[in-house]
Amino acid sequence: MAMPETTNKMFGEKLLSIPRWIWFVLVIILATIPQFVSITIPNVPEDSSAALYKELMTLPEGSTVIVQTDWTKSTQGESRGQFDALMRILMRKNIKFAFMSVADPQASEVARNALKELNAERIKDGDREYKRWEDYVSLGYFPGAEGKGKEIGESMLDAFKASKDKDQNNVERSVLESPVMKGIEKVGDLSAFIVVTASKSITIALERLQDKVKMLGLVTGVMGPETVNYYTSNQLKGLSIGLKGVYDMETMMEYGANYPDSSGKNFYNMKKYTDVVPNWPGKKNMDRGTKYYLTLHFTIGLMIIAVIIGNIGVLLTRKKGNE
Amino acid sequence: MGWNLLAQTATEPSFFNGPNGTIWGWIAGTMLVGFAILIGLLYMPAQGRKYVIAGFTFVCGLFYVLLWLVPTPHDRNPDDVPRGKVEEISFWLSDAVNVFGGLSNILVAMLLLLGVFSLARIHIAKIIKQQKDWVFSVCLIGAMVLIIIAGYNKWLTELNMDPAQLEAIGKLEPNAWPFYKKSQDFLFDGLLQNMDAAMFSVIAFYILSAAYRAFRVRSVEATILLATALLVMMSLLGLVTLYWNMGVDLITRGDPASFWNNLKLKEIADFIGSSFRAPGLRAIDFGIGVGALAMALRLWLGLERAGGSN
Repeated sequence: MAMPETTNKMFGEKLLSIPRWIWFVLVIILATIPQFVSITIPNVPEDSSAALYKELMTLPEGSTVIVQTDWTKSTQGESRGQFDALMRILMRKNIKFAFMSVADPQASEVARNALKELNAERIKDGDREYKRWEDYVSLGYFPGAEGKGKEIGESMLDAFKASKDKDQNNVERSVLESPVMKGIEKVGDLSAFIVVTASKSITIALERLQDKVKMLGLVTGVMGPETVNYYTSNQLKGLSIGLKGVYDMETMMEYGANYPDSSGKNFYNMKKYTDVVPNWPGKKNMDRGTKYYLTLHFTIGLMIIAVIIGNIGVLLTRKKGNE
Repeated sequence: MGWNLLAQTATEPSFFNGPNGTIWGWIAGTMLVGFAILIGLLYMPAQGRKYVIAGFTFVCGLFYVLLWLVPTPHDRNPDDVPRGKVEEISFWLSDAVNVFGGLSNILVAMLLLLGVFSLARIHIAKIIKQQKDWVFSVCLIGAMVLIIIAGYNKWLTELNMDPAQLEAIGKLEPNAWPFYKKSQDFLFDGLLQNMDAAMFSVIAFYILSAAYRAFRVRSVEATILLATALLVMMSLLGLVTLYWNMGVDLITRGDPASFWNNLKLKEIADFIGSSFRAPGLRAIDFGIGVGALAMALRLWLGLERAGGSN
């Protein structure tokens, strides 16, 4: 009696023909379950993340920075966590900031909405509200990144003379009149120029501004490998890369960098990075990075398993063919 | 006047730039002039158009070349006066950066507008002719119009509110929001942003499927690539790194000087990153840079045929 073709299939062939929908269902399950689990996974921050944390923690209180925010919800898994960690540090240190976008027209609105949520969290925790116009302003969206970068490098006054934001009386005024931009005439007057991006906009900014102001970057995992070149050449003073970078930031906000706890022990040992930077005790530090890091474990784990299964299938099929 | 033509000075209030910041006159005037130039270019003979575009490109490019070649003033104060012709040129170039930057921003913004116009033209034509899948075109045009109306409505409504009113609305629960806020929130945050996230998340499925089907040990090179990728991926995972390193610590017995410490996952990933990945990317970037320079020179000098003649 003839056997059905499927039962005759070799094991190797079966491994090679796992239906796509099974993988898709596994991705959904493995990406969803960790969202409901909150555990602190052991982590040793990257040196670039530690350098970024140190630079942020040593920014002078009350100074002004520019935050170039070039991300939207498509990369929120990484960028939102980076943006939140950055904003929490800036707000806790009373640093004024002006944010702008060059990559996506939606980016400014996304950043404004994220800021509203962070402000609500501050008020809930009993901290003062970070006020638009007095503490931060929105400079706007500039589609010509190259030209704008050059303008910023030449003169902050000219570059933003047409930018307006609402003051405390809800009247649109030039951002240059705001307390945030007070005394900022050149880009060098800023204490840092920080780029949160999911695109090449950081490279465009670096090419035009890196010799004029301290530059810091928070980029997605995709942009990481090429941006790391600018960190190793000291053009970027600190760099957070991808979801690991978010978790690094949150870990350092919770435990500090090389910062001993009350028993004199460090939460982790960074071998090469030796600077000691304190933490933020009693504050909400662990957030999106912590929530998504387990998901990253599960999904990368699934991908590794998928690759291994595929290759075992190939080896078994080849072996059978040789026989 | 003269070299200081482009220096930024406060303008007197007028119809175009009234005390309340009205710029509608400027916008209308600029649009009229812009459309006149566009129409003029459309009706110009192809040969003439080529020279106009090439000339415009050359002048814009020349400005940035000069800006790079001529030393620009450092730590310049607003009341600094140039000494001699060279400094005059230097000051003028420095002042004009803002004008050229503004022009480039306007040009790119025009490209966005051109995209919207092109999209609308194609899809409206499709709806009128009721071509295949015209219903999707209705969705696209409808969504575009709705989000434009909702966005402008929110901006204009909030612009006319007093701070107390705005603050009171800001404290309301979402279900008590006024219609203008609810509609913008629903369309932008509720639909557009989440669809954006959903579209991007689909990539995860394709990456997994592609990794399973294509990442195969077919040759020595593919095997090296596969092993490297697996090591780098694993180095991103804190738990895997912890247990891997604990294994290495068993071999080294905690001796920091032991050679076997090099087998720690972070060390391997750092070695791969700094010794292979970074130089490789630098080489690629360098190649791209040289190519871009050559391309820029061709465009600047009007040597690209497609740029001017078509």
